Parts: sequence; C-alpha cells; structure tokens
Amino acid sequence: MTDLTPICALGAAVPQSRTIGAVTLTENAELGLASLALRRGGAAPDLGLTLPGPGGWAEGQGIAAFWTGPDQWMVEFPGQASQDVAARLAGPGVSVTEQTDGFAAFEITAPEPVLVALMEKLVNVDPARFGSGSATRCGFHHMSIFIIRRAADRLAVLGMRSAAGTIWHALVDAAEQQEIRA
Amino acid sequence: MLIPHPLLGLRDSEEFSYLGDATLLERPDGMAADAPQRFYEYQHLRDNPAGVHRELWFHEQGDRSWLVVTRNTVTHEILGAELARDVKLAMAKGGAA
Repeated sequence: MTDLTPICALGAAVPQSRTIGAVTLTENAELGLASLALRRGGAAPDLGLTLPGPGGWAEGQGIAAFWTGPDQWMVEFPGQASQDVAARLAGPGVSVTEQTDGFAAFEITAPEPVLVALMEKLVNVDPARFGSGSATRCGFHHMSIFIIRRAADRLAVLGMRSAAGTIWHALVDAAEQQEIRA
Repeated sequence: MLIPHPLLGLRDSEEFSYLGDATLLERPDGMAADAPQRFYEYQHLRDNPAGVHRELWFHEQGDRSWLVVTRNTVTHEILGAELARDVKLAMAKGGAA
C-alpha cells in the first residue's frame, strides 16, 4: 500500500503559527466540520447547544455551530478533524455533509482593540455589530469566507482549503501592515 | 451601496449579484393552453421603469439567499429588501407580488 503522509492545509507537517506584534495567527488543522440542514418539518438533533439564529455562533461542550442560512448550520468539532464527525449529526429529517476536507481554519488572537482594528481591515463587516458569538459569510480578497467572533479577543476565519495559502498570506499581510502603523 | 438584508442587517452590495426584475418570480404555468405566448412575455417583455423597481438580488458572498430589493433606478436609493422565499410564499397564498 502507498505510504501517504498527512499534511496540513498550508502544506507543512505541522500547523503554521505566526505572532506579529500583538496578533497571533494559527492554522487550526484539528477542526472537524460538518454542515447540517433541516429538511422540511425536520427536528434538529440534540447537540448540547442551542442552534443559533441568523449571524450567530454558539458553543457547547466540544462542539460549536454557526448559522449559514435558514434552517442551516455549520457544526464545528474542535480537535476532531480526523474523526467521522458527520456521522454524529446524521439522523432522520436532516441533511448532513462532511466539510472538514473542504475548509481551512485560521484562529486569530489579539487584545480586543487590536483585533477590532484588524477586523476592520480584513472584512467589510461592522465590528460594533459583530461581538462575541457572531458569525457570517462575507467577501475576503475576492473569495468567500466564514468569519467567527469566538470571544472578544478571538476571531476565526474559515475558507476554501485550496486557497489556504492565499488566506494565510492575506492575514499575515494585514497583521504586518497594522504592526507597521502601530 | 448598502442593502438592508432582512436577516443579516446592512450588507455591502458588492456581496450580491443581480438577476433582474422580480416579476421573474411569476413563472407562468407551462401546462396552460396559452403557455407559449405567456413564456414569450415572461422571458422577453419587461417594464424598464425610471423610478421604483423591484428586483432579484442573490447574496452570493453571504448566506446565499435570494432577496427582492426595492430600488429607485433614478437615485439608486434602496427602499427595502425582503426574502424572495417569503415573497413567493405570500404570492402562493394569493397575495400580490
């Protein structure tokens, strides 16, 4: 059998991490993802969290979810990228698709004022209306990404895995430019 | 230009792609006797008002919802936005488009 070596979305054997000034960027290679859509009249499975409404992100024990459309969510399983997370959502009345392999996730940590200043440059979303527990899909360098405010000082960017290098470049570039101005 | 998305609030119009006149929601019955004439009208004949216009926009870089946006074509003022799904369901219940 062929010997296959698993690599991260940015191409290295281990996830990349960069600290630029007060901003820390980390490739999150361990995030399991599955999309969940309720069929007409279907009931949401019990995930130990309340599935959020439009623009929302909610966290439970070892699980989180954000709204992607009416009766649709992306469910996150931190640290479980190597597991069959879609199977945990499957059930009657729902449509589930494994998404781990389609996305690359990047976590951004910085003190709140620095994070807000960075976010203003990254995406065209009003940070004042994007507090902890918010998530949305929006444009980013001519691509679509999901952006999640996990906490006042933590932001996550989920984008196409095939564009991981481009997203990383854009994040590093924005953080470096902010550091130069600071 | 900002579009007041009914679920997500004000969003940049660059996140949307434009389809056209919202009368596209009123697709004729393909089984009707006069279907060819009605489809000809549906496909090719549109009003082109200078003023208030209802049109379909797709939130491509957002939640991928279809919206019916009311826009003044003279001033580009956006007067409102509704989910196309809600508009279509209201039409099915007999409401006006």
